Amino acid sequence: MLTMSEPATVPDPNAPANVLEGDLVRRARRGDLPAYDELVKRYQERIYATIYHMTGNHEDANDLAQDSFIKAYSALKSFKGGSSFYTWLYRIAVNKTINFLKQRRNKHHLSLNDLDFNAEHDPDLVALISDKTPTRDVNLIELQNKLNEALLKLSEPHRMVVVLHDVQGVSHEEIAEVVGCNIGTVRSRLFYARQQLQGYLADYIKT
Amino acid sequence: MSEKNENFEDLKKLLKLKRYEIPPPGYFNNFSGDVVSRIRAGEAGGQSFFERIQADSGFWGNILFVFQRKPGLIGGLATSMCLLLLFGVVLLDHSESGQMATDAVTAEASPSAPDVSPTLASAISLEPSDTGGIAVNTNPVASLQPVTTFAGSSANPLFQPVGFMPASQ
Repeated sequence: MLTMSEPATVPDPNAPANVLEGDLVRRARRGDLPAYDELVKRYQERIYATIYHMTGNHEDANDLAQDSFIKAYSALKSFKGGSSFYTWLYRIAVNKTINFLKQRRNKHHLSLNDLDFNAEHDPDLVALISDKTPTRDVNLIELQNKLNEALLKLSEPHRMVVVLHDVQGVSHEEIAEVVGCNIGTVRSRLFYARQQLQGYLADYIKT
Repeated sequence: MSEKNENFEDLKKLLKLKRYEIPPPGYFNNFSGDVVSRIRAGEAGGQSFFERIQADSGFWGNILFVFQRKPGLIGGLATSMCLLLLFGVVLLDHSESGQMATDAVTAEASPSAPDVSPTLASAISLEPSDTGGIAVNTNPVASLQPVTTFAGSSANPLFQPVGFMPASQ
């Protein structure tokens, strides 16, 4: 069972696993489906999580994640290797998700996943729901709903940057490559998005 | 605009909650299998009949693809084909009857014409001994054709055109 208790990190290009990744990509380009299956297993959790945090809906995330991997397979011949396979795959998933959200604008429907049991023991979250920090009593489920509603109020580009950096732990440089903008834009979007979120969630966080 | 100027620490702590949202148990056990199955289905025959035909053949595939996108064209084409067939049958019928009438006239004008078979000749002209020297055209097809006048009105079909000609000696 997946637990997202640790932020996803971008794979280190020098790691041994990445040498194998190049081999898997070459085999998958020749139509070797078991090799592609291995690539899917490697990135399925991060791709799913990013899409899920963007949509706030498990069913949509499932469909979009599968579609992203299928599209990536069909476009594998056009993958030149200029970036890592992971970044290229991430870009496909991000574009697919943003296109989906644009079509579904103002039709948000939350279908949130359950919280992992360990959330109740996270000291930061315990501090947030203790009577010292918040201005009102809340439990984790309510906090989860409010947080997701606040995220959905952000524009897609701003939400994407927050999700990738603050939730997934992706670096500014990687985000710039995935989203297709410069690092300064990533930083300014992140700052603005955080400001917005802070305003939406003012009742739940100490400012 | 630096992060130092803003205190986002509590917000970051709150955003950590997102990392604890997990999909249903066992969800990722079948995920890659589902993806690969969908890829295999797409390669093996997930395409529609029309898409496969279009991929396999050129011109005819494109025509079928157009029909797939505009199904009304199929009905239009079928109607056109039926009308064309009907027109062809009527035209053939008219040309045959016209040919028979021409043959009859030719046979009457020259009974010894070699291209008129004895049977047909006997059918369209009576022996002079039977008619008292007058040959009568009894061809029903030729005789029942309405005659169009210059004024555009048809002659009464009840009038049977009869050819009188002197009996050959």
